[in-house]
Order: sequence, then C-alpha cells, then structure tokens
Amino acid sequence: MIDIRTVTKSYGPKVAVRDLSLHVPAGELFAFLGPNGAGKTTTIKMLCGLLFPTTGSVSVGGFDLRTDGDHARALVSYVPDQPFLYEKLTGREFLQFTADLYAMPAPRAADKIDEVIELFHLDEFVDDLTERYSHGMRQRTVFAAALVHEPKLLIADEPTVGLDPKSIRELKLLLRKLAAGGMTIFLSTHTLDIAQELADRIGILDRGTLLGCGTMDDLRRQANQDGSLEDLFMKITEETPETTETTPVTA
Amino acid sequence: MSASLPPVADQGALFRRLRARLARNGLRVLLETGRARLVTMIATSAFVAAFTFGVSLYLFNELRVNDVPFKGGIVEALFDLLFFTLGTMLVFSTGIILYASLFTSPEARFLLCSPARADHIFATKFQAAVAFSSWGFVILGLPIFVGYGLISGVPWYFYALLPLFLLGYVILPGSVSAAGCLLLVRYMPRNRKQFFALVGLVLAAGALYWLYRVGLGFRRSVATAGREVDDLIGQFAAFRSGAVPSHWMTRGVMAAARGDLTGALVPLAQVWSNGLVMFLIAAFVARRVYRTAYDRLSAFGRAKKIYRTGALDRVMDALVFYLDKRTRVLVVKDFRTFRRDPTQWVVLAIFGLLMLFGASNFRQYAAADLAVMDKYAISLMNLCGTSILLCAGLSRFVFPLISLEGRKFWILGLTPLSRDQLLRGKFAFAATGALVVAETLILASDALLGLPGPGLVLHAVAVAVIALGLSALNVGLGAYLPTFKETDPSKIVVGFGGTVNMVTGLAFLVAVIGLMVVPFHVVELAKGATGGAARAGPWVYAGVPVALLVGAAALVLPLRAGARSLRRMEF
Repeated sequence: MIDIRTVTKSYGPKVAVRDLSLHVPAGELFAFLGPNGAGKTTTIKMLCGLLFPTTGSVSVGGFDLRTDGDHARALVSYVPDQPFLYEKLTGREFLQFTADLYAMPAPRAADKIDEVIELFHLDEFVDDLTERYSHGMRQRTVFAAALVHEPKLLIADEPTVGLDPKSIRELKLLLRKLAAGGMTIFLSTHTLDIAQELADRIGILDRGTLLGCGTMDDLRRQANQDGSLEDLFMKITEETPETTETTPVTA
Repeated sequence: MSASLPPVADQGALFRRLRARLARNGLRVLLETGRARLVTMIATSAFVAAFTFGVSLYLFNELRVNDVPFKGGIVEALFDLLFFTLGTMLVFSTGIILYASLFTSPEARFLLCSPARADHIFATKFQAAVAFSSWGFVILGLPIFVGYGLISGVPWYFYALLPLFLLGYVILPGSVSAAGCLLLVRYMPRNRKQFFALVGLVLAAGALYWLYRVGLGFRRSVATAGREVDDLIGQFAAFRSGAVPSHWMTRGVMAAARGDLTGALVPLAQVWSNGLVMFLIAAFVARRVYRTAYDRLSAFGRAKKIYRTGALDRVMDALVFYLDKRTRVLVVKDFRTFRRDPTQWVVLAIFGLLMLFGASNFRQYAAADLAVMDKYAISLMNLCGTSILLCAGLSRFVFPLISLEGRKFWILGLTPLSRDQLLRGKFAFAATGALVVAETLILASDALLGLPGPGLVLHAVAVAVIALGLSALNVGLGAYLPTFKETDPSKIVVGFGGTVNMVTGLAFLVAVIGLMVVPFHVVELAKGATGGAARAGPWVYAGVPVALLVGAAALVLPLRAGARSLRRMEF
C-alpha cells in the first residue's frame, strides 16, 4: 500500500529525511517512532501529498503522490496531532462534507455517518457547532471523519493525545480491528507502549535516517539485546553518532 | 499494482454548499449571540460611508462653485486616479489575504491532504479573500459616486449600474494578485529578503517620483492657468490609456453619467469579461503550481535567527522608570513581543508616514497660495484618524493581553508579582506606547501644517487624554471581561468583551474630541469662511474641563474594575 523509495527531503540546508526506503503492505499496522525532529511528520506529510520529496518517490496504492496525487489522496485519511474542523459546521455537517468530498454515494454515506457517530460516541454533541467542542471531542470527530469514507490507508500522528483512558483503550481496539479488516494503518507516536502493543512492524527514525525496522524480534536481533521496546529504542538511537552519517535501513 | 480509481466528486458544487452552510451558520450564531457585534459592524460601516458621502458632496459642490465641468476632463482624470488607486490597493490586500489563506491556514493544510483539486481550493479561498478585501472598496466607492450623481444630475441607470461596475472591478485586480501571489511563491528566488527589499525600493522610488511630478503640476496649475492644467492631467496619462482597466471603469461611469447607456455597457462588459478571464487564468495557474508552491514554501525552512535585547527595549525600560523593577521587566517583555511581530506595528508605521507626507505636501500647497483645503480641517482629520487608529490598535493588541496571559497565568503566579502589579504593567506598556506614537504623529503633522500655538497645545492635551483613557479602558475591560478559553487574539477582539470595549472606546474618543477640539475648529473654519469676521468667545474652551473629567473617569474606573475582577479570579 505504501511504497517509499530512496526519499530525501530537505528544508533549505537542513536534511529532514535522508534516503528513506519503506514498503508497508495492505492490512499492516505500522508504527513510526523517533525523537522530536527525527523526520516523522515530514514523512507523513509526504505520504499525504502535502509535501513532495526532494529526491525519490512516494506512492500510495500504486499512485505516485507527485504525478497522480488526486487519486492517491482519495485512498488516504490523515488524522493530524492538531485536528482541523470548520468552526461554523456541526460535527454531522463536517462528516457529510467529508463523505461528499470523497464522492461517497448518498445512501452509503448516510449509513457510514450513523455508524461512526455510534462508534465514537458522538451522538451527544454531533449536532452542535464544532467551535464548542473540547479537544477530546474534536479528536473523536476528526477520527470519525477520517473513517467515514472507508480509506485504504489511515495515517495518524499522535492519535491518543487529548483522549481519556477509556477512549484510548477503545481506539486501540478499533485500530487493530481496522487492520484486521484490511486497512493499512501508519501510526506515528511517542507512546512506546502503544507501538509495542499494537504494531505489526515498527520503524525507528532518528535525524532523518531509518535506523531500525521490523517486528519486535527483528529489532531485538538488530539491537543485539532483549527487553522492552523502550530498551531497544534507547539502544538503537543512542548508538547513532550525532556527527556522522549512518547507513539507513531498507524496509 | 494500482488500486481501482476512486469516484470523483462535483467539487465545485460541494464547495459552494460548504460556503453557503458556513455563511448560514455564522449568521445564525451572530444573530443569536453576537448582536452587539453585528450592530457595531453595521454602524461603523454606515458611519464610514456617511462620512465619505459627506466629504464627496462637499468636494463635488466645490467643483460646481468653481465652474469645473462635471463630465469633462478634470473629473475624468480624478476618477482615473481613484480607480487606479483603489485597484492597486485591491491587488495588495487580496494578495496578502490570499497568501495567508492559501499557505498558512489550517484549512488549506486539511484540504491539500484530501482529494480536493488545487483549483477548487484556490477558487473557494479566492472568493473569500476578494469578498473580504473589497468590502472597504464598496463602502468607500458607492458613497463617492452617489455623491457625484446627486450633485451632477445623472440618469437613473447610473445608480443601477454602479454596483455592477464596482463588483465587476474587484475580480480583475484580485485575479491578477492571486496569479502573481502563486507564481511568486512558486518561482521566488531563494534569497527572499533581498528580493523583496529590491522590489520595495524600486516601487517606492517610482511612486515618490510620480507624486513629486503630480505635486509640481498641481501647484503650477493652481498658481497659473491654461496649459499647466494639461500638464497636470498629463501626469495621469499612464492611467488613462485604453489598455488600463481603471480607465474602462472611468469611461463606463462617465458615459452612464452623460446618459450614454451603450457607451456605459461596453466598458462594463469589458470589465467583467476581462475579470472573469483573468480569474480562469489564475485558477489554471493554481491548478498547475499551488501544490508545488506550498511544498516550495515549506522547503525554504526558516533561517536561524538569534534574538537579543535591543536598544528599543532599553528605551522602553527607561520610559517606565517610575515602576518597580519587577513590573518593568513585565513591560519590557510585552514590548519585546510587540516589536518582534511586524504585523502588529506595520499598519501604524504606514499610516504615520502617509499622514506626515500629506501634512508636508499641504505646507507646499499653502506656500503656493492654495486655499482649497483648510489647515484646520486637515489637522482635525489627522487628529480623528490618529485617535481611531489608536482605538483600533489598542483594541486589537492590548485588550487581549490579559486573556492571553490567563492560559499561562500559573507562570506569572509563581513569580513574586501581585495581580495589581500585572495590571499596572499592562497599562504602563499600553499608555507609554500610545502616548509616544500619538503625540509624535499629531505634533509633527500639526507643525508641518503650520497650526498656531493654541491649536497645537489643544491637540497635544486632547491626544494625551485619548491615549491614556483608551489604554486604561483596554487594560481594565480586558481584565474585567476576559476570554480565557480562546488562544487566538483576533477572536478575543471580536467576542462580547472586545465589542463592548471597541464601542466604549469609540464613544470615549468621540466625546473627548467633540468636547475639547471641535468647537475650536468650528470657530477657526468660520473665521476663514467669513474673512475673519467670526469671533472666538471663551465658550470655545468650555468643553475642555468636561473632557478632562471624562478622561479621568476613563482612566480610573475601568482599571479599578479590572483590578477587582483580576484579584477575584481563580486560574
């Protein structure tokens, strides 16, 4: 579903992502980890078609984001860490707008809207203007909108920020269920427990370079040590010298 | 292998529905919870329109008194200049608004991540930007031409065609600006700062040279007669070519005024058709370059800049020497935040320069025995303009200070600073800045106009009362009616508290100017009109003590209410 080939992205003189290659098949839940400024958000923005690689290519569902971006973006849903909602629309109107934007047939859209309202427990406030929502309500509404058009790829940047423990638990179950149903999920997070618990594979990015990628067992072999994801993450990122360029992992 | 191609939505209809729904919901909220804001907006627009209408009536009447033909070359040249100026303003204002909404808004980021087509995103943002930037154009343009129509006697369809002309005209400069904005971002050289500095310098030099030539021609034509008038009109030749859209507007409006309906409809069609074609070109450009321009802008990155304490910070620290050390630190912090954000002070700087430039020009015209405009009228307008600018500036930047502080109040709560000191610091910051700016502008422009001593002193006192009173109102009401949930200062300003503050501020400055300054100017204008026969009695200054009392009340009451409210607050 995701095919990133030897991608480098520079912001002026600063290289945010260096020679990244990554393949994520359909139905996989992939977690992307890395310290602040590692290049996770830049990679996500390239997957959404918001930014283009300086060199290399990014494809989603076989569509190149640069040359066939409209088709690629129709397969993708993106849940950013700072959710956007139209302040002067109600939650239901926003869901309807999203369904229309993705050209869903009206009867199917109506069914899906009812479904996600129930799934995310939006019924108490879905007909209020979103300007009155709390952060948690906004986050749930954005998630509902992201799923209403049944995307092939769901990209979520720190999806648990602002959610209460019960909502986090429900979200984790939902993400696993969606992946089992064939949806590809690309998760960027700092919460290592969630990555360890949910992800089929984990990629560790630091200073723009993919240092490790694979299942927990793969990462343990690579780090040459046992332990939790936190231990592996610290080992892999600490072993990278700050001044020298490292050889990126291809996954 | 590619997934199957997804269906395509009718995005044009979708975005039209979105805009209609946003407008409907916005209006409903405004009617339910923001009536005071709605009334203020309508009243302010009506006031500006009425003022423009009054000035236009007066000036067109002056043309009649001086036997200048209403439908001849001089008025045509003036209209050419007016349309050209308004068109240029539209180019810049639409470009700035569009830049922000296409490249920095969260909505643009959201839509660019969706299958929305780049030209549809552009079109929806363009319409919002043009509607926003042309609001002032219509509010100013309509009263001028209605005034012209009433004085010069025009057929009914002149009034019917006016809105069509004005609405059609906003599309063309807006589209030019939009296409330019997109192309500039897409193909901008990497060293942006030097590029803009160079463009700015070239434009400023050209504008100054042209203004100098116009000023020269104007003085000659007034001091003498005959061929020099042609010289003056010749300075506008560049705007009067058949290829310039502002001249199509003039031709159409003048033809309608003369009763030549066909002659009016052809330029009207020219304005609309060219505007719409240019819009299509801009949409095509957006489709081709918007996404890559967005990427390119992000890829520039931000150059690393080291911020240090500047000399201006030390000046501010010295100006509030009477405060204790801790409060001074707070004042300098607020000032530093203000000066590092050019969007906060650039309008003030432009207004100040224009005012001083105008006052300096007036002195030159006066030296050429030009008695068309009176220095008392001009100086009163300057005072009103500066006061309104103070009112708007303080409402925008000082009123939200306490609300914004509220979110991170725990930081201040941990410092050994009482809440009264916090309020005193905000007031000192606002009052010092307002006094320095307003007094400098008023005294410099009055000196350039050659206003006599009593007028100068009166203006200095009035502007001091206004600056101190407005500062206290904004700080006091900001603490009394805060909005801690909101992080966007522009939204705090248009909320209930902001609207109350704006209306109170406007009422306050109208009261002070009306009581303290207007009687003096009325008498001086009457003297000018009667050749010195009118006399000024002591009643001219009777309003001064009352205005000082109003000023004292504005200074004390809001600060006291704000301090009481702040002491009671729990964060």
